[in-house]
Parts: sequence; C-alpha cells; structure tokens
Amino acid sequence: MATAGGPPDRPRHHGADDGGSDPGGTPLAVELRGITKRFPGVVANRDIELSVRRGEVHAIVGENGAGKSTLMKTLYGMHRPDEGTIGVDGREVVFRSPADAIAAGIGMVHQHFMLADNFTVLENIVLGSEPTRGGRLDMVEARRRINDISARYSLGLEPDALVEDLGVGDRQRVEIAKVLYRGARTLILDEPTAVLVPQEVDELFRNLAELKREGLTVIFISHKLDEVRRVADSITVIRRGTTVGTADPRTTTVKQLAELMVGAQLPTPATRESTVRDTVVLRLEGVTVRDAGGRDLVDAVDLTVRQGEVVGIAGVEGNGQAELIDAIMGLRALSAGTLTLGTDDVSTWSTRARREAGVGLIPEDRHRQGMLLEAPLWENRILGHQTRPPAVKGPFIDRRGARADTERIMREYDVRAPGPDTLAVALSGGNQQKLIVGREMSASPRLLLAAHPTRGVDVGAQAVIWELLKDARAEGLGIVLVSADLDELIGLSDTLHVMLRGRLVATVDPGTVTPEELGGYMTGARTAVGAA
Amino acid sequence: MSALRRAGLALLGPLLALVVALVISGIVIASIGEDPFTALEVITNLGETPAAEVQSIVVILNRAVPLFLAGLAVSIAFRMGLFNIGVEGQYRLATILAAAAGAAVNLPAPLHVLFIIVVAMAVGAVWAGVVAVLKVTRGVSEVISSIMLNFVALGLAGYLLTGPLRGSAEGAGIVTTAEIPESGRFPDLTGVLTGMGLAEPRSELFGFLVVAVVVGVLVSVVLSRTRFGFDLRATGLSPSAATASGVDTRRMVISTMLLSGAVAGLIGLPDLLGADYEYGTEFTAGLGFLGIAVALLGRNSPLGIALAALLFAVLDRAAPLLQFEDIPASVVTIIQGTIVLAVVVANEIARRLARRSAERAGARATGSPPDGGGGGGPGTPPTPDVGPDGGHRTYTGVPGEPEGARP
Repeated sequence: MATAGGPPDRPRHHGADDGGSDPGGTPLAVELRGITKRFPGVVANRDIELSVRRGEVHAIVGENGAGKSTLMKTLYGMHRPDEGTIGVDGREVVFRSPADAIAAGIGMVHQHFMLADNFTVLENIVLGSEPTRGGRLDMVEARRRINDISARYSLGLEPDALVEDLGVGDRQRVEIAKVLYRGARTLILDEPTAVLVPQEVDELFRNLAELKREGLTVIFISHKLDEVRRVADSITVIRRGTTVGTADPRTTTVKQLAELMVGAQLPTPATRESTVRDTVVLRLEGVTVRDAGGRDLVDAVDLTVRQGEVVGIAGVEGNGQAELIDAIMGLRALSAGTLTLGTDDVSTWSTRARREAGVGLIPEDRHRQGMLLEAPLWENRILGHQTRPPAVKGPFIDRRGARADTERIMREYDVRAPGPDTLAVALSGGNQQKLIVGREMSASPRLLLAAHPTRGVDVGAQAVIWELLKDARAEGLGIVLVSADLDELIGLSDTLHVMLRGRLVATVDPGTVTPEELGGYMTGARTAVGAA
Repeated sequence: MSALRRAGLALLGPLLALVVALVISGIVIASIGEDPFTALEVITNLGETPAAEVQSIVVILNRAVPLFLAGLAVSIAFRMGLFNIGVEGQYRLATILAAAAGAAVNLPAPLHVLFIIVVAMAVGAVWAGVVAVLKVTRGVSEVISSIMLNFVALGLAGYLLTGPLRGSAEGAGIVTTAEIPESGRFPDLTGVLTGMGLAEPRSELFGFLVVAVVVGVLVSVVLSRTRFGFDLRATGLSPSAATASGVDTRRMVISTMLLSGAVAGLIGLPDLLGADYEYGTEFTAGLGFLGIAVALLGRNSPLGIALAALLFAVLDRAAPLLQFEDIPASVVTIIQGTIVLAVVVANEIARRLARRSAERAGARATGSPPDGGGGGGPGTPPTPDVGPDGGHRTYTGVPGEPEGARP
C-alpha cells in the first residue's frame, strides 16, 4: 500500500496484500496498481493503489481537487491512464470507453443526475439500452426486469411515475437502478449525499446495505467523513493526486481521517462569542414573491438582520431560499411587503442602487450569477462594482486600478491564478469563490447575502471563507446565510430560521440544535412547536 | 498564455475559414469547367499599370467603408448577444430620409453634412429602437422583429421614393430623390492620394473613410474602455451574471439597439455623400446582410471588421472582372457564402482551443502537482506562494474552540 507522508498519528494501514486477491482467495472486485494520469503540465493522479473487495462498500475520500474524479474517470473508461493497470475480478482490463467499463460490470452514478424529466422512471432506466423484440421496444420485458431489480434491492421504484414528480432521493434511486439494469456488479457513487437531507441519506445507506447483501460492490466517493465512517467497510484516502493510505472506519476517528485527508488539522465553522449589535441592517416585513402563475414562492417572510449578526436560512433546496435572496438583491420584484436597508425603504430600488447602498452577494451559482467565465479576472473584479472605484474612473473603466486591486485580492484572499489577466474559467471552484468573496468584501458592504458560500470548494478554501465571514461579522457586517451544509449553518449562524414551502416555519437556537432536528424541520416532519 | 499566442488563436479562426472557403470555391469553379487559379489571379491582380492599381485600390476602399460600418453596426449588437438582422432596413430607411432631408435644406457646408449625418443616425436608431422596445415590453425575439421590420422598411422606402420624396422627373427611367446640393456633399480624399505621389484615379476616394475610422475608434473605446461598454459586454457574456451585478438588462437592450441602429444609419452615407448625392432605385442594396458576414469574419472587433470589410471589398471588385474570363460573377457570392459558413465553424473551434489553453494555464499554476517532489509540471517548479492544490497551509484554528466541534 502506498503510504506517502501522513501525519505521525495516521491510522494504521491494512488491506490486501499483492496478488490480486484478499487472504480469502476470492479475486478483488477492483484493483488499481500504480495508476498515473498526466494532463499537460499537471499530474492529476500518481501511483494510485486501490484494492476493493467484492461485496464491500469502499469509500474514497479526499478534498475537492485531490484527484478523485480523475481516478473515477479512469476506472469508468472515460480516459486511459498513462501508467498502471486496472484489474476487475482478478483479470487485467483495458477500458477504451465507458461502454467497455459497463461491459465489465462497472457502473457510475453521477453527482448531477442525468435523467430526462418528462420521461417516466421506466423510460429513463431503459434509455440507451432499450430491450427490443423484432425491432420493436419490448416494454413488457423492461418492466419485468425493473420490477425485479426494484424488489431485489428494495429500491421501491414506481415504473410509471414521471421523473419530474420525484424527489431528490427517488431520482437517485432511479439512477442506481439505471446502472443495475445495465448489469453492473460494481457501482461508483460520486458524492451521492451532497444533494440529500439527513433522512434521505439514511435511506440511501439502507439501499447500499441491500446492494451489499446481494454481493454487489460499491465505491463511494465523498468528503463527508462522518457519513463515510457510518457506511464504509474500508476507506482509501487520496491527497494531492495519490493514495496516502487506507483506514478502517471502525478504528479511525473522523479527526484522524480528516487529518490524513487534508494533511493538517481540521477547520470548523463554529463562531466565537456573539458580535450581534442593536442596529438593524435589514428588515423584511411580509415579503412575498409570486411566480408568473401566482404561486407564492416566498410567502410573507419577516426577517431582521442586525449588525454583526449571521442569520442562517435552512431548508431543502427549492423551498424559496433562492427567491428570497433574489428579492433582497432586487433581482425579483416583491409582490407584497417591504424591504428596509438601514433606514431606507429599498423595496423598489434597482439592483445597482442596492449594491451601491452596501449590499454584497455571494451567489448560489457562481458560474451563472457571479462570474464572467470567459473574461479575465480583472474584469470579474469590476463585475458588480461598475460604479465604484477602484474599478472605474468617471464613465471609464480603470484598467490599471482594477488589475492592481485584483492582484491585491489574489494576495489577500489566497486566490491561486497565474495573474489578473487569466480567464476566470481557468480557476478551480475554490479559487473562483475566493475571488468572489474578496471582491464583495472589497466594497465594504453592510449586508452580505451568502448563498452556499462554500459549495464545491475544498476544505482549505472553505476554512478561508469561514474565517472571512467570521471576521466581517465581528466588524459589524450583517450576513444572510443560505446553505445546504447543516454544519455550516449551525456553526456560523447567530439566528437560524427554517424555510419550508416559502415560509419561515421555525426558528431554532444554533447553539443547541442538531443536524437531525434541523433536517426534521426542513422536511416538515417536525413542526415549530417547542422550537426555541 | 502569452499575448502572441492569444493573437495567434484569434487569427487562426478567420484564416482557417478563408483557406477552407477558397478550397471549396476552387472545387466549385473547377466543377463548372473553369480554372480556379485563373479566378484567383483575377481576384488578386489589381491592374497592369500604376494608374490602374490606384484605381483598384480606390474602388476597394470605397466599397470597404460601407461594409465596415455595416459590420460595426451588427457587431455592437452581437457583443451584447443581440442579433440585429435589421441593419439592412435601418440603413435603407435612414439613407432615403437623410437624402430627402439633405436636399430639402440649405445650410453652410460643414453644418449641412453634419445635419444629414445626424438625420441618418437618428432614423437608423429609431428603426432599431422599435425592435428593442418590442423585445423589452413584449418579449418579441429581436431576430424575428428585425427581419420583419426589414420588409416594412423596404416597402416604406419604396413608397416614399415613388411618392412624397420623389425628386426625379415624371417618366424618368430611374426614380430618385432630389439631388443634395454642393454644400451637403462630403469632400473626397483624392488629393491625399495624389499628394502621396500616386497616379490620379478615375474615381474619387470617399472622404467618409475618415468618418468611418473615427466611428470605429469611438466604438472600440466605448466598448472596451467605458462602464457602458463593460455592462454591454458583460450582458453578452452572461446575462444572469450581469443582472446580478446590477446591470439593468432592459435598458441595455434599448441603448445597445439604439447605438447599433445609429451606426447602421451611416452605412449608406459614403455612397450618398460621395458619389450618388441622391437615393434611388439603383442605390447599393444588401450591405446590411453583408455586414453580418463581415462582423462574423472580423470576430466583432473593430480592427478585425476593418480587415474583413477590405477582404469582402477585394472580392466584390473582382466580380465584374471575372466575367471577362468566362467565370460567372456569382463565384464571388459563393466564396463569401462559404467564408461565412466556415468562419462560424472555425470561430467555435478557435474559441474552444483558447478556452482549453486558458484552462491548462490555470491548471499549471493552481493544479495538483504532488508536493513530495518528482513529477511536477514541466517548467513549473513549486514556488512558495503558488503552492500545490489542497488546503494544507491555511490552517486557521480558532482559539479556545474545541477541535472536534463538528460531529
């Protein structure tokens, strides 16, 4: 086993010896030996060693950018490694395309679902490998096989339900069924819990247990260590492109795992003592946003944000959080209610006027709302600050000022890029996000709307962003925080509201609430009775 | 990525397209039994004598000026992601109204010319503004409405020409507006050519060339150096990001279309003020549509559009000459058409190459070379501040906070 330098107290390494089989003599389901994959100028994977036994849940953990997805693409035949061998069930194989991998019994459940919304579950599952009889679709056979799969692995599928009517957890089961339908014996799940609430995660883990009982092998990619410890039989840690060791989930603590993964101590989102002041920065009264069909997306929300206060909004995605942020930012018109920033009623102000009045935004989707991907970084520095120095001088763009300030942001916020003339698309997600945070902070806002500020960024960038938010809060910034990361919400928030179907249904004390309780409120299983 | 490489990538698309288009056109010419190299010879040969060469250059420049303005008008809208197909109608309507207005008034020379220019720009802007208003108030696609308004504009121009604005005598073969008096004509630049020691050409070099250059520089500055230009380009790159940054997209649609239309209004003026002095049934048509091709070929940059306009002008000059060699003049149309098709494909390829090379450059600086030595990217030794990926050096412990606070 590769044992590149971990911390001194790293967990002991165990696992199969060489020879392509575990001590029991059964061949390994998947075995990677010395896999190296280079891209021009970058070694994405180096000397990867991975041994996955048949019938186990094997977790691969590592930070974003550690090389997990490159490794999985190698295993799924999406590209060929430059060095090393892949073994499946004891035989050495060469994958030229995902079709080869599927033929060898390897299936992939992608993080972003690839389902056609207007098709039924049945149609989605057979799409691409439709059974035919005499040149015609054989839906009877397809239905029989899907019902069989559903029953055998307790997936609870309804073949005729439309995918657009399904929840996230159900969609994921459809994806799993799709892979099983193609005869996969080894399933790769890429960050499967990223989109799930705790209750759905439990359900997924029960499904995985069923798969395991039927002798299937699961490769589970994640960076959520507590989940990995719950579900995995063995763990391989990957850091900076190479496997740094394996760990036994029964004997390894989350902290040890994290240190192995990061190569340093773990940051936490938890804040210091309260810095909440009396001055109100933002007050929402009866704020309502309706869609074109007259449905209430945000329903009579009352909210107060004070100086130095982080107000967290928890909720399953699609319950009006995004619309609430849009409404505060001026991107959606209010149907009713008032929005007061400081002492000004800004309900009808334009987005630009609100920005000039001191509202900053870390958008939910940085590619869609936060960046011009095909523009250089210094132009991205100007974005959202077109009316203020140092980016502009009168009606003109101040190129030199913008470049200099971009360099300052890159320095102070640890944005790793060749220079301010680099296109934004060339940066990793974490670096893009740090640039956005740096840009929004540079205008010294009084109110910051942070939607999923650490989504898709690595642990290092996450720690930096948390620190920045905490520092800004201490200096009196009011923050509205929307996040799907419950630990982040609980850790950072001074006040925590739960949003369900457009309404704020509960207010909980972030000091005492557990993620499980919060998940209960988010799904409506718990009600506000008894909430703090 | 070095500036040289970036420029190389920017030129790659159009050059590739040009080569492909010439090859395809060559095959077409060969297939009708003519020699493609004869055609190439005709296109590139400017004349036997110095006087003929100067004359050819003047013809090319005179054709390139309106093509440049047309490409510029289209590109302004393109930069914001708007497809102004209505340039054709905008310039035709602008030209006839400017011609009529110019003939109707009598002002001192510079003011008279300025008056005609202002009228043309205003008409072009108003006509394009209709498209913008329909888009922001009713959500009508600018592609549809600007195409339809072309027909309305051409019909309207035809009615005005034969009706209220008719200046030519009853029964004349060519119907025109009244002629613009001497004071409303733009001085030519032939003196500059002879001043440079060149032979005097038979045609006059349009003085409007100077206006076109000034407009080109102004548009270039506005687009790349001003806040307005930034908002416009940002909206073109990502409407959602621009909106979130505080750009009022509806207002941007209107101002961009007004600007595009105002420039479109200028397209007919080089011919009107430099050669024809009246608008008639024989007035140069089709410049608006050629402008779309020119803008595509020039990749929406004023300098590129100038080069593309020159290329199209060279081809257009050759059209009548080709017939002396028994090659149909429509070969020029075929070449221009294939250039446009090829350039759309080539631009996309060049864009992807540029993006990929940018991503690689970024990956080299921020990617994940292993930190334990060995196998780092070639030529990129790990530096202390641009370290390997991962977050190991940013430990930000919180004093007095229990380390295991995460469950």
